[in-house]
Amino acid sequence: MTPKVPPNCGKCGLCLNVCPVYKQMKEEQASPRARMQLIRAHKNQTIASSPYLKEIMSKCLMCGSCTANCPSGIDHYSAFMKMREQMAEDHGEPAAVKSLIYLLARDYRTRWGSTLARTGQKLLPKKIAESYKLGNIALKNMPRLNAVPFRNTCEEIILPDTQKPDRQKPDTPKTDTKWQNIQRQGSDKETGTVAYFTGCATNYIYDDVGLATVGILKRMGYKIIIPKNQTCCSIPLLFHGAKKQAQKNIETNIEALKGLKVDAILVDCSTCGEALKHIYPSFFNKNDPASHHAIAIAQKIGDVLSFIDDHFDRLTFNASPKEKPVVTYHAPCHSKNSFQSHTTIENLIKKLPFVIYKKTCDTEECCGGGGTFFYEFPKVSKEMTDKKINNAKAIHATQWLTDCPVCRMNLSGNLKKEDNLIIKHPLSLIYSALKPL
Amino acid sequence: MLDENIKNQLLTIINPERYLDQPEALACYAYDAFVEESLPDAVIFPKTTNEVSGILKIASQFKVPVTARGAGTSVCGAPIPVKHGIIVCFSKMDTILDVNTRDRYIIVQPGVVNADIQKALAPFGFFYPPDPGSMNTATIGGNIAQNAGGPRCLKYGVTVDYVLGLEVVLASGKIIRFGSKNVKDVTGYKLTSLFCGSEGTLGIVTEAILKVRPLPETTKTLMVMFDDLDNTARAVTDIIGSGILPAAMELMDQMTLTAIEDAANLGLDKTAQGSLLIELDGVEEACEKEMKQIIEKVKENGATHIQEANSESQRQNIWTARRAAYGIFAKLAPDIMSEDVTVPVSKVPAMIRKIVAIAHKYRLKVGVLAHAGDGNMHPMIPTNKADRDEWHRVKKAFDEIFEAAAQLDGTLSGEHGIGLAKSKYLPLVMNQDTIDFMKIIKKAVDPDNILNPGKFA
Ligand SMILES: Cc1cc2nc3c(=O)[nH]c(=O)nc-3n(C[C@H](O)[C@H](O)[C@H](O)COP(=O)(O)OP(=O)(O)OC[C@H]3O[C@@H](n4cnc5c(N)ncnc54)[C@H](O)[C@@H]3O)c2cc1C
Ligand code: SF4
Ligand code: SF4
Repeated sequence: MTPKVPPNCGKCGLCLNVCPVYKQMKEEQASPRARMQLIRAHKNQTIASSPYLKEIMSKCLMCGSCTANCPSGIDHYSAFMKMREQMAEDHGEPAAVKSLIYLLARDYRTRWGSTLARTGQKLLPKKIAESYKLGNIALKNMPRLNAVPFRNTCEEIILPDTQKPDRQKPDTPKTDTKWQNIQRQGSDKETGTVAYFTGCATNYIYDDVGLATVGILKRMGYKIIIPKNQTCCSIPLLFHGAKKQAQKNIETNIEALKGLKVDAILVDCSTCGEALKHIYPSFFNKNDPASHHAIAIAQKIGDVLSFIDDHFDRLTFNASPKEKPVVTYHAPCHSKNSFQSHTTIENLIKKLPFVIYKKTCDTEECCGGGGTFFYEFPKVSKEMTDKKINNAKAIHATQWLTDCPVCRMNLSGNLKKEDNLIIKHPLSLIYSALKPL
Repeated sequence: MLDENIKNQLLTIINPERYLDQPEALACYAYDAFVEESLPDAVIFPKTTNEVSGILKIASQFKVPVTARGAGTSVCGAPIPVKHGIIVCFSKMDTILDVNTRDRYIIVQPGVVNADIQKALAPFGFFYPPDPGSMNTATIGGNIAQNAGGPRCLKYGVTVDYVLGLEVVLASGKIIRFGSKNVKDVTGYKLTSLFCGSEGTLGIVTEAILKVRPLPETTKTLMVMFDDLDNTARAVTDIIGSGILPAAMELMDQMTLTAIEDAANLGLDKTAQGSLLIELDGVEEACEKEMKQIIEKVKENGATHIQEANSESQRQNIWTARRAAYGIFAKLAPDIMSEDVTVPVSKVPAMIRKIVAIAHKYRLKVGVLAHAGDGNMHPMIPTNKADRDEWHRVKKAFDEIFEAAAQLDGTLSGEHGIGLAKSKYLPLVMNQDTIDFMKIIKKAVDPDNILNPGKFA
């Protein structure tokens, strides 16, 4: 039997205890069910638009746990995005969020912005930098930005490794040893071709992830295409109701990725993955040619870690250290709910011969980062983050792996020196242990 | 909104962070999982018994209605504040105070979620038997107030069988305690029974001592398919009648099976007309023996396919899908009407035939889902309230379903309670003197009728 109307929320409440915000706040208005009811009430004009209504709608991590667990098949995501758009229109966004949208809206602005921010980070007197906070995260604990955006450091097409160093010169300074190391690794056979969608985080903040991705894929024998014209996946824009700006980015990305003759299009961030795989295909009208391209692209989207897991036997590692470090994993919400890659990733980490894997009691719980949630709602966010940190410390892990840049930024920003824990992308860990050829 | 003076008095005992009265927030406490809604004037989240007592002293002084709320998963409108006033929401009063498996009890605050009790007990090899489908969200306070049951209550009994003692705040604000940490306790009226199922109309539970049990050694799960619904129901009667007591025995008709299969892809046979999900637990050898007897009985009743869950994850998947059935049904139409009439187990086949015939008469679709072993039926009718004619037919159909249950020595509700949904049917199952007796009790403990007014008629 097919439903004749879009599904209704039956108010069963099964989504309450999967919602990280509800679990922390324990107030109905912080729950997915309440948000659905308020959207309906707003539509029926029994509840007027107000800054408080906007706050309730924004106090959500857009983590997708509700959608993943709702037996009635409610599409919270679309409903929330539409409502957020309306709320942003009615009441504006806080200045910091607004500037984020402005920056992400066009890649060159991001580039420009990151240069500015970097200069800011450098110029800010130490004292101020130490006391200034973004949400809960002291500025000094924010990640440094990449010296040069990652994509500027590599060619658009990177050939698989062979025994001899190849000629893809990165336009980075000669002193950049990271690249020289990558060039030297080799693999004899060319196995196939993949495209790599790097996302903003790798491009501007965490180039170690990009280097690791390229390094590992090259080693596995893949030719890698990193389309130059890709830009922000636009999820942050959609979550903040900036649909128009988002559309431009989506069109740009479809243009950059369509028609590529590749085995897969890989992402290192599951939020980008969610956008490319689930949001783009339904963004356009069915008759719009962009929609066809988006669907074709979506079929090729996969995450790098699952891809590596599929071809794990192609990798060889250095001899394991005598004392293997204890590592644990934090499953990002989007890996769990929309991309469903978290179990594969966890199993991949378990397979790594050079570490001891230990699970925390709350591996799958949200860390409270959630895009700009940590900035907009520092109190709730902090409570969630601290719980996670304490549970990771309880199992005496020294490395904490996570495959989402926002989780990484949020967790590492809240860690103290004495916590003795470092946050890493699993890719960086794998890459650092690869045996040189 | 409450009168300014009352609000100010409340704020002298409650941290303003735990007091809500913005219209946007109030709208979120106007509903449960039932179809009706009504707005409160304020929502308070107490954290201690003394705060609850303080709230009730002020409320009784000004005669403001007070309705307790747990997680709002009631399906009969029990926590809906029909007369407005204050919602006292227990979600933040959620500490497990003591786990004592030596003496086999656990002491909890009312806002503790049922599943969290199970989590706290599991490491000790114990469990708390009542397992409502909403156990991952619903609170113990709500479970007690609704005397909640669940699939495994067939063998183990329902909430009332596990409440050893309670701390309750009365309408006046006075705090009373009754029962104890002892399984045997005959000191005065059995007040724990009076409060189980009282839907927050007699007093507010602020602490509970619950009986717990050791986890069974083994659990075996069977899925049995039939090509006839009547045969399915007769198999239930036969099994229970022969003296076997499974932990759970869930019946699903074809519509329910199809809906679950479409949503969860478990590989269930969608052409089957009826099915039983049977779970046995206890000592390995005993389970084996009972399993054989059950297989014999279902074969005698024409079972077409019998399959045992071969792993814990398969078993979990089946139960997760079963728990989600209500929500899965909600997908089928804008509104879903579900009831929980209950009949003695020998009347299960007759009751199911009645339900199907009544739905047919009113040209409605019906899904039959039942905790069949204890005769507890959940007929579910997908409908659309906006379709006036259909909605009228749905109401008529339920009137007849209740009448039919009463004629079969059954009752109105096995576990969901009366709330707003069923108070008008009370006369079908009790005489006026009995209803009056309940009113006398209510009047005696809550003379101003401030505790959850508007329920139980
Ligand atoms: C999908 C689904 C499946 C369900 N399955 C079952 C099932 O299998 N078995 C079953 O029995 N029920 C079931 N229910 C019904 C419901 O979950 C139960 O009645 C549950 O016990 C309600 O708990 P709650 O915390 O949500 O309470 P609420 O719905 O918030 O409140 C219920 C009643 O309890 C009162 N109350 C709450 N806390 C207190 C307190 N501290 N002191 C006094 N009164 C209080 C309220 O005033 C109200 O009258 C189901 C519901 C859903 C949506
Ligand atoms: S959104 Fe889904 S899970 Fe949540 S209350 Fe509504 S129907 Fe239930
Ligand atoms: S997206 Fe996540 S945070 Fe937002 S309502 Fe759903 S479960 Fe809660």
